[in-house]
Amino acid sequence: MNNSVLVIGGGIAGIASALELANCKHDVYLIEREAAIGGHAASYCCKATDVCTKCSVCLVPQKLKEVKTHSKISTLTNSVVSKVSGKAGNFQVEVWQKPQYILPQRCIACGMCFDICPTQPKAIYPPSPEAVPYSYVIDESQCLRLKDEECNLCEGICPTDAINFERKPERQELSVGTIIVATGFDVFDAREIGPLGYGRFPNVVTGLDLEKTFSYEGSLKLPSNGKEPHNIAFIQCVGSRSESHCYCSQVCCKYAMRFARLIKHQNPDCQATIFYIDLQTAGKGFAEFYEECKEAIRFIRGVPVEISETSLGELEVRFENILQGKVGRESFDLVVLSVGMAPRRDSWDLARILGINLSDDGFFDTKEPSNPIETNVDGVFLAGACQVPKDIPDSIAHGTSAAERAMEALERCK
Amino acid sequence: MNRDDSKIVAFCCEHSAYQAANKAGRMRLHYPDNVRIIRVPCAGRVDVQHILKAFEKGAAGVLVMGCQEGACQHLTGNTRARERVKYTDSLLKEVGIDGSRVRMVNLGPDMGQQFVAEVKEMAEKIEGEMRR
Amino acid sequence: MQVKIGVFLCDCGESLKNIDFSRIREDLQRLEDIAFVDISHNLCLEEGEKAMTSRILVENINRVVIGACSPDLCEHIFTRLLEGLRLNPHLLSLANIREQCSWAHEGDVTGKALELIRMAISKARLLQPIEREVVPVSKQVLVVGGGFCGMRSALELSRLGIRTTIVESELTLGGKMEQFEGSYGIETSPQAILNLMSNTIEEDENIEVLTSAEITSVEGQAGNFPVKIRRGGEQVSQSFGAIIFATGHTTKTLPRDFEPELGRNAISQRKLVEMLQAPEELERRPGTIGFVLDVSDENSRLPILSTLNNALAVKERLGSEVYVFCKSLKVDSEGMEKLYREAREQGVVFLKFEEKPQISKEDGRLKVEARDLLLGEEVALLCDFLVAEEKVLPCEGTEALGSMLNMRTDSQGFYQDENVHLYPVASERKGMFFVGGCKGDLDFARTSMDISSATVSIYELLSSGKVIVEVEKVKVEPDKCQACLTCIRICPHSAIQLVRVDTEKEVAKIYDLACDGCGICAAICPAKAIRFEGYADEQILAEIEAIGESL
Repeated sequence: MNNSVLVIGGGIAGIASALELANCKHDVYLIEREAAIGGHAASYCCKATDVCTKCSVCLVPQKLKEVKTHSKISTLTNSVVSKVSGKAGNFQVEVWQKPQYILPQRCIACGMCFDICPTQPKAIYPPSPEAVPYSYVIDESQCLRLKDEECNLCEGICPTDAINFERKPERQELSVGTIIVATGFDVFDAREIGPLGYGRFPNVVTGLDLEKTFSYEGSLKLPSNGKEPHNIAFIQCVGSRSESHCYCSQVCCKYAMRFARLIKHQNPDCQATIFYIDLQTAGKGFAEFYEECKEAIRFIRGVPVEISETSLGELEVRFENILQGKVGRESFDLVVLSVGMAPRRDSWDLARILGINLSDDGFFDTKEPSNPIETNVDGVFLAGACQVPKDIPDSIAHGTSAAERAMEALERCK
Repeated sequence: MNRDDSKIVAFCCEHSAYQAANKAGRMRLHYPDNVRIIRVPCAGRVDVQHILKAFEKGAAGVLVMGCQEGACQHLTGNTRARERVKYTDSLLKEVGIDGSRVRMVNLGPDMGQQFVAEVKEMAEKIEGEMRR
Repeated sequence: MQVKIGVFLCDCGESLKNIDFSRIREDLQRLEDIAFVDISHNLCLEEGEKAMTSRILVENINRVVIGACSPDLCEHIFTRLLEGLRLNPHLLSLANIREQCSWAHEGDVTGKALELIRMAISKARLLQPIEREVVPVSKQVLVVGGGFCGMRSALELSRLGIRTTIVESELTLGGKMEQFEGSYGIETSPQAILNLMSNTIEEDENIEVLTSAEITSVEGQAGNFPVKIRRGGEQVSQSFGAIIFATGHTTKTLPRDFEPELGRNAISQRKLVEMLQAPEELERRPGTIGFVLDVSDENSRLPILSTLNNALAVKERLGSEVYVFCKSLKVDSEGMEKLYREAREQGVVFLKFEEKPQISKEDGRLKVEARDLLLGEEVALLCDFLVAEEKVLPCEGTEALGSMLNMRTDSQGFYQDENVHLYPVASERKGMFFVGGCKGDLDFARTSMDISSATVSIYELLSSGKVIVEVEKVKVEPDKCQACLTCIRICPHSAIQLVRVDTEKEVAKIYDLACDGCGICAAICPAKAIRFEGYADEQILAEIEAIGESL
């Protein structure tokens, strides 16, 4: 009998599960594919104007810190689950870790490797400021050594012997009682909708691009010329509520409105227009905010079908103006595509490994519709957006609930 | 630029501004080195006497930096801090220290750029006053 | 006892080139109470920790000052190290000379680094140890409200081995469950679920049910809330470790939006469901049924959920024409988009408006006039029945209870405050949780997550019957306290109470388990009677004094 729990995925839901379990005295293995935990939400920005707009992004660093310092959580980054056998109460899990050319336990982020790296752009570089663990990363496509060229500069200068290019992928076998899947989502690739011009026009960006921009720059400038935007459009439901993605991604209307308000707060002369089908305004703390939005933002009921460039270099949005019942054309200097959440492309692989089902939409399926946590496999539970798109607070709630179910299952298996 | 007479004391809430300052450092965003950060558990811990002591000990400016309005973990900490800053500002004006040398700033933990901007603004203001 | 400080400086692999560490060491060694200044290349790694450990074992120091990277990266390493050496971990003072010094500025920053370390030293001189203590907590939980959420909370807690008492003001359990007939599909039966839950509760030894009862006062703090319960003219007092409030909501057709004079054709979702459950009893099949949404409340999920399920049921069982008037469909819940598409496929017509529709009586039916955006023209629809929207409102007593508990509600009058740090179910007061309808708009999936979150948080807090607390980290000094009650009033976590110390005197007392360490009380106390160890006035002032001090 095993009292430990495996949490697959170190995003906000996985972290919430791990913390709850660890605080209840269970040993937790937190497996994360990337080099750092935190998932998507860790890269998002605070969207307050002169008041908090309840985006909940500030909950992430708090939880990351608790995970980092918790003695009952073992975090394995750069790791994936490759095989699972056994049953509830006693699962054997095979985990493969990518070669740790830089050992996060030894890296002190001094940056001397970065200074000495000869490539442009640098093959070894600092992680994002919020990364946990805060250790440097290698871009294998740039690294001379990994392309079999002679170079040992970083390994030589590292004061803690954290770097070793001889390291190999490592296999570990873990024995756990229950498993929580919290692998999150993929951001919908806006290039799939060609006519909207993402990837062709520099001033067509996604909501995720805005998160990164505000997080690093603190303000928004036009990608094309670095000037302040004066006229911004948001297009909702990009990759949601469609034939191929037959669900609402739950976060886009809110983040669009929050961004629109933030941009206008920084730049009061800027006009913001939101093109929408149905506006999702339900949720705690949103009603008042929405009322204020009505005065500050132009809402147009309509579905943009195409974006093109005018001779003046502006972006012309051609859309169906439902209110007026005709095709409309308006120009903006920046268009934000409010992209939704898509199931991860590699979900099928993990589903196969665990023996769990995928739903029609490609997310992980649950045993019953009224039970968003249990899968068809006893002892395997779901947490967060990998089950159905959800925002940060709901992901935390889902994660802690999954932890509860996991603990109950462990009790049952005794 | 270590001017002994133009120190800026920044009381930074550990949940927001302290982390924003760390982020600025990690991004190697440079700001004037006359800033001295004092970590506090909540902006609401900062008292008028702390701010006044800073000025008494030669600080040229004081920043009280806490969470965004409505996002304080302790609900009212940042609001109380703002009130105290306002009160201290009026006290300072009475003794002839004009020009908003004490300022309340609300930040999120990821706002490294904004932290730097606030510090630079205060430093520039002080520099401007000193030249006069 | 004489203060003896050991200083450890980390040059981060010798990478902090703009700090002259030997100059700093030279300066500091001149201070009397500094026992040594060690320079390490990697304090956070094994070899650095070993060196620190050996040094501390040999030297007889009682304070540790460390100049290194940000505390959020290394503080936990050092506190664990000190604990291992039987040194109180609170006798540690940190200076951030990397992220907030070396990395943040160009040029030589030795002067600033030295000052930051001297600030930490000044504080360290005044640090006091904080001990830990095991405090027993009551493992009994109070659930206020015996509706679906209250019952389910009790059942989940019972599964986790925790005993609960449900206090319900009505005669029976169930709350508003029967109102949800049809909301989740015409086949679902809240009554059946209610019966099952009631029976399970009755047989569950861990759950005590007090109906026709209400709470009249709640005192204390997490781990020990003495609660007075009035039942049938009697008052009992019992102590609980935690409390879940599941006091529910109420729904109302707002008279300003749907005039009562509209008559029997204006029905509630509930009434429609009754008709659907016994279609053969209808005098005649209604030809057209209309639903109106987003008139009383644009920001709720529940009305659209009930509407879609009932519209589908109408199509299936009555075959009537169905029209739904709404502004924006709230589909941001699992399965809603698909349900909406299914309704459309079954012939439900959705009309979207910008301005609220006009509703009037005509020829014994109800006329709805609105400008349909999709058609681009005014439509007038005559309905045999019109399902009026019901707004979800806080139930009576919500505000009063909030007052009693000294807790805020949100802008709509529901629990809890909108502060994101409380999400999903916590409140400002540790050990008190809110679930279900009393929090606002309902949605089964989110509500069930709420309940699990609350129950697991309580399990985390109470399951072992004891909690480790830091003793008197924030403390009222009884000799200085004037009992002005200021701290008691302003503590956001209601962690301070008035206690009698002898026949003459009452003073404020801070309860360790409830205290969240903000220090607002320490700042506000007019008598400066509150000491917050680690951030005490003299400690903060000492840090400030060290700025600009020449050696």
